[in-house]
Amino acid sequence: MNDRFPIDLKVNGQRYQVDVPVYRTLLDFLRDDLGLTGTKECCVVGECGACTVIVDGRTVNSCLMLAVEADGGEVLTVEGLAAGGRPGPLQRAFLEHGSAQCGFCIPGQLMSAHGLLLENPHPAAAEVHEALAGNLCRCAGYEQITEAVLAAAEEVGG
Amino acid sequence: MQAFAYARPESIPEALALLAEHGSGAHLLAGGTDLVIALRNGSLRPTVVIDLKRVTGLSPAIRREDGHLCLGATTVMRDVERDAEVLRHFPALAEAASWVGSVQIRNRATVVGNICNASPAADTAPPLLVYGAVVLAVGPDGERRIPINDFFVRSRQTTLPAGSLVTGIELPLPAGRMGSAYTRLTRRRGTDLASVTMCAGVDGAGVTRLAYGSVGPRPVLVCDESGVLADPAAPDEVKAPILEEMLAGASPSPRSMRAGPEYRLAMLRVLGRRALQTAIDRLAKGMA
Amino acid sequence: MNAETIGADFPRTGGLSRVTGGQQYVADIKVADALQVKLVHLDCARARILSVDKSAAEAVPGVRFVMTADDLPQPVPRFGPHASDRPVLAAGRVNYHGEFVAAVAAETKEAAEEGARLVKVEYEELPAIFTVDAALAPDAFLVQDPAIRRAGDPLANTNKFAEHRFGWGDVEAAASAADLIVENRYAYPMVTHFAIEPHACVAAPDGDGVVVWSTNQHPFQLQKILAKALGLPLSKVRVIAPDLGGGFGGKQWPNIQPLLAFMALKLGRPVRLVLTLEEVFQQVRRTSAEVRIRTGVKSDGTLVFQDIESNFLVGAYADIADRVVSKGNYLAAGPYRVPAVRIIARGILSNTPPATAMRGFGVPETAWAREMNLDECALALGIDCLEIRLRNLARYQEEFVPGDTPADGRWEQTVRRAAELIDWGKPMPPHCGRGIAVAAKSGPTTGLSYATVRLLGDGSVIVFSGTSDMGQGARTVFAQIAAEEMGVAVDRVSVVMGDTSVVPYDQQTSASRSTVIMGTAVLNACRDIQGQLRSVAAHRYGVDEAAVTVDRGVVRLTGEELSLVEVAKAGLGKMGGEYVGNGIGRKDAVPDHPLQGTAAFFEFNCTAIEVQVDPGTGELTVLRHVTVGDTGKSLNPMQVRGQDDGAAIMGLGHAMMEHYIFDDAGRVRNLGAIDYRIPTSKDLPLELISEQVENGDGPGPYGAKGVSEGSILCVAPALGAAVRDAIGIAIRDLPLSPERVWRAMRDGK
Repeated sequence: MNDRFPIDLKVNGQRYQVDVPVYRTLLDFLRDDLGLTGTKECCVVGECGACTVIVDGRTVNSCLMLAVEADGGEVLTVEGLAAGGRPGPLQRAFLEHGSAQCGFCIPGQLMSAHGLLLENPHPAAAEVHEALAGNLCRCAGYEQITEAVLAAAEEVGG
Repeated sequence: MQAFAYARPESIPEALALLAEHGSGAHLLAGGTDLVIALRNGSLRPTVVIDLKRVTGLSPAIRREDGHLCLGATTVMRDVERDAEVLRHFPALAEAASWVGSVQIRNRATVVGNICNASPAADTAPPLLVYGAVVLAVGPDGERRIPINDFFVRSRQTTLPAGSLVTGIELPLPAGRMGSAYTRLTRRRGTDLASVTMCAGVDGAGVTRLAYGSVGPRPVLVCDESGVLADPAAPDEVKAPILEEMLAGASPSPRSMRAGPEYRLAMLRVLGRRALQTAIDRLAKGMA
Repeated sequence: MNAETIGADFPRTGGLSRVTGGQQYVADIKVADALQVKLVHLDCARARILSVDKSAAEAVPGVRFVMTADDLPQPVPRFGPHASDRPVLAAGRVNYHGEFVAAVAAETKEAAEEGARLVKVEYEELPAIFTVDAALAPDAFLVQDPAIRRAGDPLANTNKFAEHRFGWGDVEAAASAADLIVENRYAYPMVTHFAIEPHACVAAPDGDGVVVWSTNQHPFQLQKILAKALGLPLSKVRVIAPDLGGGFGGKQWPNIQPLLAFMALKLGRPVRLVLTLEEVFQQVRRTSAEVRIRTGVKSDGTLVFQDIESNFLVGAYADIADRVVSKGNYLAAGPYRVPAVRIIARGILSNTPPATAMRGFGVPETAWAREMNLDECALALGIDCLEIRLRNLARYQEEFVPGDTPADGRWEQTVRRAAELIDWGKPMPPHCGRGIAVAAKSGPTTGLSYATVRLLGDGSVIVFSGTSDMGQGARTVFAQIAAEEMGVAVDRVSVVMGDTSVVPYDQQTSASRSTVIMGTAVLNACRDIQGQLRSVAAHRYGVDEAAVTVDRGVVRLTGEELSLVEVAKAGLGKMGGEYVGNGIGRKDAVPDHPLQGTAAFFEFNCTAIEVQVDPGTGELTVLRHVTVGDTGKSLNPMQVRGQDDGAAIMGLGHAMMEHYIFDDAGRVRNLGAIDYRIPTSKDLPLELISEQVENGDGPGPYGAKGVSEGSILCVAPALGAAVRDAIGIAIRDLPLSPERVWRAMRDGK
């Protein structure tokens, strides 16, 4: 036991083998150590969802997870949603539907929406509301966000 | 964030040895959704955090065993709310799990963590009480089975002996027909801590169990064996005094920000009647 | 106008980086060598500081500096938009829960946090004032030392920061002619902005000056305040304000920035601070209000007078709250024809977090009282609540506030449309109710915005504007205007904002002004280029300038039409180059006007709500929420909808669940996201309909008016009326929490 711990994980498909301080949250690791600042920090108590990322296929609040807990896992952040630099279907739908206003909550919203579509490719509006209930948007663009998620599901799912 | 040491044992004996070595300075980590907040705001200052997620034998799986369903020490809420066996036999537990925080929280938060924190508002506590769950623990003196009603003391305090850890929760499969329901009162519909929690269970023999929380230092389990509450034909004025007596164990704090004591007590009755009705309806429909 | 550009749903300019995570907000910017700062504050609302012991903090490895008031010039510099009353760091006293007394700069966040925890402040806690009644009690102590009040302020020895009197006609005479007078008291809670981006600031020495990155709606105002506090010329203070993660008024005026600038200059190193959400709640909030209103009507519902006394609880320092009090109350009588009005509006100082601007700027507080009271008049007279509004609503071009801008919209259209969308008058099931309310807010009363537009050699365009884009979509609108005027595609326009060293002056981003005032500046800058190209075309084609017209992107010569870009390219010839246009948008002050200026436009809104009340628990389900605004012309309807939906839901948050909770000693108990609730995706109305009336009658480009605040103005009274319709009881305090509604049903009052 000491205050650093070696971890080996993949972030957006890229492998990292690093020693991290054990007190470092996954959020701080992504933002400060890897420079992936698309993941946002706001409430740091798991209420706002701005820091949402996907770990091993599941959405999590990266502010409530220590980086060491992601050891051996695969992390997907908003930066990993654009394949080859081209925005993915959810991202395009968010643009087309005006879902991003100030944009600060949007990476978290996108990750929750992505997590939902992984499990449920054809959600109903109420299921979108449920899946995104942990992502606060003070611009309150919830309607346009929901529309974008449904449209992206349509596009991808056919 | 404060500094602390981190340990990741691979076996139960190793985890117990760490607990023995560090005593009160050790804190167990399962989902971390409460612990990491406490670590950041300094309300907990452990010397070592023991991560249980890689311990062989503390699996996240939900297992069907002889006569019961067993939740693992690291079973997360999200798996409980969607598990077919839980939904079939213990729907109120699935409902309660589905009300905990957001999807992100439920993907990390464990049922065992929920009861070990022993928050009076813990959503999973009332259904576990109604279903007669047993907490499985292991400590320096070996294994121990603690009926869940003997487990809670008050917020952040349980009867789990020092140096022990919880390895799972056993839910006995109902012997006969049963109807159950969970409901809660919150300040908004999206993720929220409950101001009142309420679970009702009614069985084919006419026994009614109610468990409720967030209205006192610990969740409360009460039982009506007269058959009156479970009787769909019994008039309200006959049920009311029985219900009143069953809810007498509530003593909400006047200091809460979430709701005043008067309102909580009144809502306890409203939710009690509603949960009971849903449980009776489900019993009639054969829905558990 | 080109319908494909103006009035079209263009995806947001800057939207791509918002959906890829590439958008760099202040907290995302890496400034090399920056020290991390953590603030030290006390767990009390008011205290006398006896001593500050830095030694334990300074001993933490990585801690470089612990700044206290002693490290600042003496007396400690004070700043503020209205009065220079707020110290850079608490000077001997703490006057609200969260006022910072020291700041620790360290190499890492962890060291700064540990250092901050170890700064030992000895203090004597003092009683605090956090209600209007306590502040106005005869034996109340003074929240502000008279020495920091403005010189000669006659109220300096009271807790009244200011008292404004507005009105016209003879209220007493009108009262004797009224058939019915209804008097009530209404309260609006203390709520906060809760932008998802917490406030952040980085300050760094920059040659012989300073550069400050700040989450800020008004970079030029911050520049001015910093220059004054630091004693530097404006040219040596550079403010960079990247696009904001939400503002809502909470990022208008400085709080932490002067401290960071002083620290950077003292240390000769960059310093960086991101507030926690809890700290944000302690730095910015909306004014809470207690409004007593007397409404007089004739038996047919015609308003004869309104008599309004508002006490707005402001914080320990004035910030911009006094302007909220005056502007929010100036239209307190509403968008109605009222022969006699008397308004007394006070800002009351208290030991609470500084109240600042917030979406709606004082209007939601007064609209709550006025609209609810008007309904009480209607009900007492047996008049329909829609009818009483239509009867009294100011007609187009009617001067409803004498001496000010007349009604600039056909507001009855808006109201009738909202009524139609909510099925006004249709019977409802039990426990359900409907309510309707209207409100108008003055747009900016003064304004000065400069824009520069560069038409580049390949026909692409860069717009330079000092407006801040905080989500309202100003960038997109400016790109659309430039595209329309230059005759190019919107995606060939870039918009540069948010750097006082790069863009020309803009007064501020507030009061829904930017489409109208900065939009006009952009339009004028484009017209400047059009004028230049008129000469180019005349010269090149050997015709008289008078024979050349430029309309948007098209240049017309006798018998010939050329694209503007074609003419521009031809004019540049082989050498290449570009055209630079400058434009101004302004709204001049009117010195003797009570608000120092008339309204540039009004944001008028009608909100109608259908609600279901759970008779057992008091929980509300908003079945349908209709919000209709008068936008003049919606330049980008998709963005307008985003703003209108968003303001409507924020209004529901205020009306249903948001409020600060104080303990007995004046500490805010529910700081942060766990116990201060805002609406989530599961708290939406089952149906939310936002519509706009567009008659092209606004003063902005293409007939636009400002939007963004309208939909929040009268949500509370529409909901309050709907609840009253459902349960038969008018509740006069907010929020309409389940507990409050239940209590009203139980008590029958």
